[in-house]
Amino acid sequence: MKPLSKKVFTSAAFIGLVAGAYPVSAHHSTTMFDRDNVIVLDGVVKELHWTNPHVAIFIENAAAKPGVPEGLWVIELTSPGNLVRSGWTRSIIKPGDKVTAEVHQLRDGTKGGGLRKITLAATGQSYTYNIRDSERPNLEEDYKK
Amino acid sequence: MKRVLNVVGIALGVVLWCAAHAADAPKPKPVINPPPTAKDWADLSKLPDWSGVWNPKITDQDAQVKTNMPPWNAKAAELINFQLAEEKAGRPPPLFVNCLPEAMPAWMLVTHNSMEVLFTPGRVTLLGESDGNRLRRIYTDGRPHPEDPDPTFHGHSIGRWEGDTLVVDTVGVIPQALIAVSEAAGVPNNGDMHITERIRLAEKDVMHVELEITAPKVMTKPWKTTRIFFRQRARLYDIVEGVCLEGYFRPGKDKDGNDIFIPVQHAVGGNRVPPK
Repeated sequence: MKPLSKKVFTSAAFIGLVAGAYPVSAHHSTTMFDRDNVIVLDGVVKELHWTNPHVAIFIENAAAKPGVPEGLWVIELTSPGNLVRSGWTRSIIKPGDKVTAEVHQLRDGTKGGGLRKITLAATGQSYTYNIRDSERPNLEEDYKK
Repeated sequence: MKRVLNVVGIALGVVLWCAAHAADAPKPKPVINPPPTAKDWADLSKLPDWSGVWNPKITDQDAQVKTNMPPWNAKAAELINFQLAEEKAGRPPPLFVNCLPEAMPAWMLVTHNSMEVLFTPGRVTLLGESDGNRLRRIYTDGRPHPEDPDPTFHGHSIGRWEGDTLVVDTVGVIPQALIAVSEAAGVPNNGDMHITERIRLAEKDVMHVELEITAPKVMTKPWKTTRIFFRQRARLYDIVEGVCLEGYFRPGKDKDGNDIFIPVQHAVGGNRVPPK
């Protein structure tokens, strides 16, 4: 690997120091999620934070699997505006709902991840989103169908 | 000698008189934004129809990381290569996690959110759905840039219409504003950046923003890139509030039952720290 300059390391370390010292905010890339693999959580929704820039669903995972411990997980999504355009509302997932969630887990192995798909046990209804699916004009014509 | 003294005395008197009456000199009139006339409003109808909401082609942003990298100088290239390697390794460089505006030119280059464009007499306004409700003012009333504009996140923009193309010239962007190629890779422009944009409809419902960015502190020559936006008319696409700093907090209650914001912890990359 090509050696990196001292300045690059210094600036990266400085950013890391600042970010680690304070609760940095949340507009971020999805790099921290392992997008090559999917884990499955089965459990009950504890909280939904319908907030910019990333909505979060807190799920109490009841069924431990290898590498997927029981307990409370926080799963992040895109912004409320982008979710609404994928058919979501802030009330489709509610605290107390039993759900199955397909998740790209945080690469550090902790109980967090990015949502791929969530299914409500009561109705079997699934919700997903992909902002790259909206790359054509006049999507309103799709809604009319 | 006496004559010389007389001349000096008269000159001194003139200087004192001028100093005493300087306050009486007429002040220059302030430059105003004139109230628009009925014709000004009517002329807006001759402009192209850019109504609706415009969402970005993110896959093209992704593709240009590989196909159209800016002509970075050696130091900037080193930083970008470091960031790209970090991203590939799953350690996201925390570029926008502070929730300051993505700023110019990153808004145009790497946004994942929608925007709308408003025409009023003498001005084009871009409103976006992130940062805390981002906004660009582009003056089309013929004014020049200020001689020494105060640096801002979006700079000072003036525009003119060439047919159906809006040509925008932007200076005065803060040096910290990133020239970003993705949400995880970008370099501060470090000052003296100049951006021109040619904004037009490439198709009836497809907008092209053709940028040329000159940033002599980080690039060896001007860089050209075109960013693509799609028109939506579904009301689902109406711009909604997007206050980035909201992500700092969770809704909660104080001891008296009032609704308040409670700070939450985030990891370096910007995601919420999972429960232990």
